[in-house]
Amino acid sequence: MSTLLDLIPLPGTTSIVVLGALALGITAGVVGSFAVLQSRSLVGDAMAHAALPGIAVAFIISGTRDPATLTVGAAVAAAIAAILILALERTPRLRSDAAIGVVLAGAFSTGIVLLTWITGSGRGDQGGLETYLFGQAAGIVQADVITAFVLMACGILTVVILHRVLRAVIFDRSFSAGAGLPARLVDGTSVLLLVLAVVIGLRMVGAILMVVMLIAPGVTARQFVRRLAPMLVLAGALGGAIAVSGALTSAALGLPTGPVIALIGTGTAVGAVLLAPGRGVVWNARSRMAARARLRDAEILIALDRDTQAGATTAASLADDVGRTRRWVDTGLRSLRRRGLVDPQLSLTDAGRRQATSARDAVLAWTAWLEHGWRLGLPDARDANPLDVAGSLGAEMAQQLTRMAREDEARAAVR
Amino acid sequence: MPLFGDAGTIIITGGLVASACALLGVMLVLRGLSLVGDAVSHSILPGIIAVFLVAQTRAPVWVILGAAIFAVICVVGIESLSATGLVRSDAAIGLVFPALFALGVLGVHRFTADLHIDLDSTIYGEIAFIPFRVLEIAGVEVARGLVVAAAIALIDLAFVVLFWKELKITSFDPGFSRITGFSPRWVSRILLILVSITAVTAFESVGAILVIALLIVPAAAARLLTRRLALMLAIAFGIGWMTSVAGYVSAVAIDASIAGMMGVTALIAFAVAMAVAAGRRVLTHARGAPETAPRDPAR
Repeated sequence: MSTLLDLIPLPGTTSIVVLGALALGITAGVVGSFAVLQSRSLVGDAMAHAALPGIAVAFIISGTRDPATLTVGAAVAAAIAAILILALERTPRLRSDAAIGVVLAGAFSTGIVLLTWITGSGRGDQGGLETYLFGQAAGIVQADVITAFVLMACGILTVVILHRVLRAVIFDRSFSAGAGLPARLVDGTSVLLLVLAVVIGLRMVGAILMVVMLIAPGVTARQFVRRLAPMLVLAGALGGAIAVSGALTSAALGLPTGPVIALIGTGTAVGAVLLAPGRGVVWNARSRMAARARLRDAEILIALDRDTQAGATTAASLADDVGRTRRWVDTGLRSLRRRGLVDPQLSLTDAGRRQATSARDAVLAWTAWLEHGWRLGLPDARDANPLDVAGSLGAEMAQQLTRMAREDEARAAVR
Repeated sequence: MPLFGDAGTIIITGGLVASACALLGVMLVLRGLSLVGDAVSHSILPGIIAVFLVAQTRAPVWVILGAAIFAVICVVGIESLSATGLVRSDAAIGLVFPALFALGVLGVHRFTADLHIDLDSTIYGEIAFIPFRVLEIAGVEVARGLVVAAAIALIDLAFVVLFWKELKITSFDPGFSRITGFSPRWVSRILLILVSITAVTAFESVGAILVIALLIVPAAAARLLTRRLALMLAIAFGIGWMTSVAGYVSAVAIDASIAGMMGVTALIAFAVAMAVAAGRRVLTHARGAPETAPRDPAR
């Protein structure tokens, strides 16, 4: 351990904090991912509050405020809270948030009653017991770091061994029940792993800020990958990175470690939600805008094609024709000119004419699907994509649709 | 000595806070947002610090205002994050409130290390001190906390009565309410903002943990006993008032924290509700008639 510490080019106390943060971040990232996936993100919050009565009882029994004793008390209380939450979740009609909330509120109230009782019964001063909940990274020593790494190894080993079973239970509960997997045991394991992470975190970042450490890596990782195993690996790495960068930043700026780590964690997760490729808020907004622009261009092309065949066209007459504002049409025309489909005199280029034809065909295909789709007798649950009927239904079905539409037209013409 | 006497004042204030919390808590429990109260209690810290730094005051009005601003930031943040559809509401809660709390802790560390700011006495009030701060209304001395609690309870009651239909459809069938043209998002937003204001005001008079407990526990207990919204509210009211009376009496008897004992009493009420619900299930099964009503859509 000490040789490892010597390898880090930082002052001794800082490197201890950084190593502790690394172990905490990795454990919280991996273990917290399960909680995030099971809508139990706030179990950590309940455990954090449950630590208060645990600490109070540990103080009553031992009469000392030795950190190790208090940690044991907190861990036992957190485990009891976790088991109670699991039991309450099984009650019909109670969702996990209510189960977590009842345990959280009940545990904390009990803690307060115990603290006032300690004062009243003259067992000495209870003042400062609850500050234990706020964590103090500067107070950790080498032994704490070793403990953190051992606990991390236990946690990761459990996840690696159980990962298939955990996956089955998380994603398909009824299948795993049918396959005879012990769902309750798995629930218990995943929640006890959370206890592990909370106990490490309590000393480092404090109980409340620990909540972020459990959630942020999982939420961030989920924005980038879909499969469980890569998500766990990524979440572990992200958790480590968040915690270490937080520890280094706080050391450099002389700020408390926990809040800095928490802010970096939330920042990372929010950033991922905004920016993740293929899924994030920004990406979604852009692809929606692009789709809207595509539809607008197609609508104008079709109208332009029809109108130029009938005679001269201006932007104003186009706007009248499609029933849109002048600005909408102007934006569309500008984009069509940029794409080389319309020339400055508002007539279609060759490429433009081809595009107009295919756009009109697409509209016809969609109308035909709405009109005749039910007669196709599709063999499966395929649904048509309005922008690409042939692509979504298959060429054969699309041809049938066109035939039906033509027959319809012919019948209408005869009449 | 205020109107109703000391004990009466504490019990009535507790009951009024419990009523306000029951009104909103039932809606939160049905929406899976019951932990919003806890989130608000942590996220107001930076607001208190900011008021202290900017206005140099600990006057309750300003502190409540600062706290309320951050409470609203917290609930709007949670709502927008979960509205992206990329993060579930529980994870959204867990991302937003610790970040705000962290800001507050940094503020305490950076600016107030040399000032004496005792958070316990600024915002996290204590229900036992309610009778000591009195107002005079029409010549009668009434505890300020009681008046405040009555005011929030009335506002919440008005909200629930006015938006009864909307709250009902958006709680049980958000999809249907969207189709009928009533945005579930706006109802949620108004509800959450009202929760944050109620919580902040109540924190100042009775303390945070009691508010958190009263928002969740009576509503969850009522949820176990009925699936009808009106009945659920009535049961939550009943449990809330009972909690206030029994919590006060037992706290005085064993000389413990009143807010703490009220929380513990609420927990006992919840345990009783669970036992009743479990007993009823056993009876229905024994008669060979499983619950025939359609499965609860909220689950």
